[in-house]
Amino acid sequence: MLRDDKDLPWDNIQKAVAQGFDAETKTENQPARPSLEERVEFVENPEPRCPCVLLLDTSASMQGEPIAALNEGLRTFQQDLMKDPVAPKRVEIAVVSFNSEVTVVQDFVTADRFEPPTLAAQGLTHMGAAIHTALDMVQQRKVKYNESGVSYYRPWVFMITDGRPQGEMFDFVTSASLRIREEETNRRVAFFVVGVEGADIPYLREMVVRVPLRLKGLSFNELFVWLSRSMHAVAQSKEGDEVPLGPPGWAVIE
Amino acid sequence: MSADREYVQRESGQQSQDADEIPSLDKWLVVAASVKGTSHEEQDQPCQDAHYWRILPNGALIAAVADGAGSAPLGEVGAGLAVSTAVNCLAESVSGLKIVVGPEDDAIGQLLLAPMETAREALSTEAEKREVEPRDLATTLILLVATGEGIAVAQVGDGAAVAGEDQGNVVGVTVPQSGEYINETTFLTSTEALHAVQIGVWRGSAARGAIFSDGIQMLCLKMPEQVPHAPFFNPLFSFVSEIASDLHDETVALDPPNNPGPNDLVLKQAQEQLQTFLRSPSVIKNTTDDLTLLLFSLISPEKAAISPEKAAISPEKAAMSPEKAALHPDGRDFAELG
Repeated sequence: MLRDDKDLPWDNIQKAVAQGFDAETKTENQPARPSLEERVEFVENPEPRCPCVLLLDTSASMQGEPIAALNEGLRTFQQDLMKDPVAPKRVEIAVVSFNSEVTVVQDFVTADRFEPPTLAAQGLTHMGAAIHTALDMVQQRKVKYNESGVSYYRPWVFMITDGRPQGEMFDFVTSASLRIREEETNRRVAFFVVGVEGADIPYLREMVVRVPLRLKGLSFNELFVWLSRSMHAVAQSKEGDEVPLGPPGWAVIE
Repeated sequence: MSADREYVQRESGQQSQDADEIPSLDKWLVVAASVKGTSHEEQDQPCQDAHYWRILPNGALIAAVADGAGSAPLGEVGAGLAVSTAVNCLAESVSGLKIVVGPEDDAIGQLLLAPMETAREALSTEAEKREVEPRDLATTLILLVATGEGIAVAQVGDGAAVAGEDQGNVVGVTVPQSGEYINETTFLTSTEALHAVQIGVWRGSAARGAIFSDGIQMLCLKMPEQVPHAPFFNPLFSFVSEIASDLHDETVALDPPNNPGPNDLVLKQAQEQLQTFLRSPSVIKNTTDDLTLLLFSLISPEKAAISPEKAAISPEKAAMSPEKAALHPDGRDFAELG
């Protein structure tokens, strides 16, 4: 443990003492008192939570190598979160997959209880509905936090797709996009998009506020390690931190 | 960052009161420490918390704690500047006056607002000098004044100040100000800061209490109600009382800096005990943030009475300077002449 002032004035005092200074203090004549750590009782408040929804495209085009790499990435994510001292108890993960249906694969669970799912790919890309589901879940989670007196960090939605909305009503997509903009403006959520090979980045850029990043090849592992480290940073952040995330090595900005 | 010789108990003065009252000898013992959080240690960042305190000749204790924003590149500079500016400004404006933590909350609020504003201006000036934005020095600030009659606190941002009552109750004088998210708060450099100043007043004679930065608030306040946890604070208050009883009566006054006396030793040990506590496994397993805890207590009058000659202060110090009163006409509304 670092003791930055160990050898400064203290030493001088000890020298003065050694030079015949009357150093007899009352404490020396008394039995040692228990340490403050032993005496003080701490409040057991619930850990603050750092919610993160993984919104994952499992449409047919993800079949084969991409979905395998994504599944592997999810396992890496869980393992890396466990390496942090506070993330396992603070980071809450939810997994929502979308193709022709939107499925809540995993509702919010702390990282230490997160079991990475194995996803399969098929069907179309109901992205608009999926976005609504994710934002609804975030909203409900906050209600739950408030009810139970749990403090929390700004929720993240992290969407990964290899396409663009497909097979659902256009209005649904538009309203999803408007909702992202509104919630970002009001700082209710931070919505990130990562495009895998084949993703319509120009289209996605119009849908969201933050610039979408393109994944280099299938470097899902690198992506999820980065996401985990970002979560470590958020979960340890204190007031006013913008939580700067190092430049992701897995991404290209187009 | 810490105050100069912060571990040294300062001599405090005699408070002039109505002739028919027994003069009270307000003597304060302060034990305070700011330690670097484990996350800052790992990343080799400085401790961005700061504290500073003074005891005025009129017997008032003035103390401040600030927590520089982790996101601000010069957060530790902002925190250090904020505590010294606010304490010195308040000390100057009330020097020689008897501070009354009176029934008029507005008055005490006004008294505390000016130094908050001065501290904010100091941050702007410093930012200009360094050619950076004021937000690069973003910091919270808690400014406290305590007398034998009570405690008044002004606060921007999180952390809090608490008061210990006679029966072992511990009450919050202020509460942490945070936004919806736990990692959001208001800073002294924020545009709305001066409108967001929280004023808290506690009245009572058993003046002891604590100021702490947000690093420790999850360990000592029951959330979400933000109620102080008495079993956390009372052992710390007892600790300060024990230190007070360890002090050598004959040298209760400040030992000269170049000739450390036995009281310096006692106080230095006390501060080290507090630092050890803030770095103990029970604390750091729950928080990786910088931590500041400033404990203060009015030493019992019996103790102070042992060496009245030490407690008495020079007449020129006790006498109120008319220039100062004239410079701070506002002060007269809420402060009586000493």
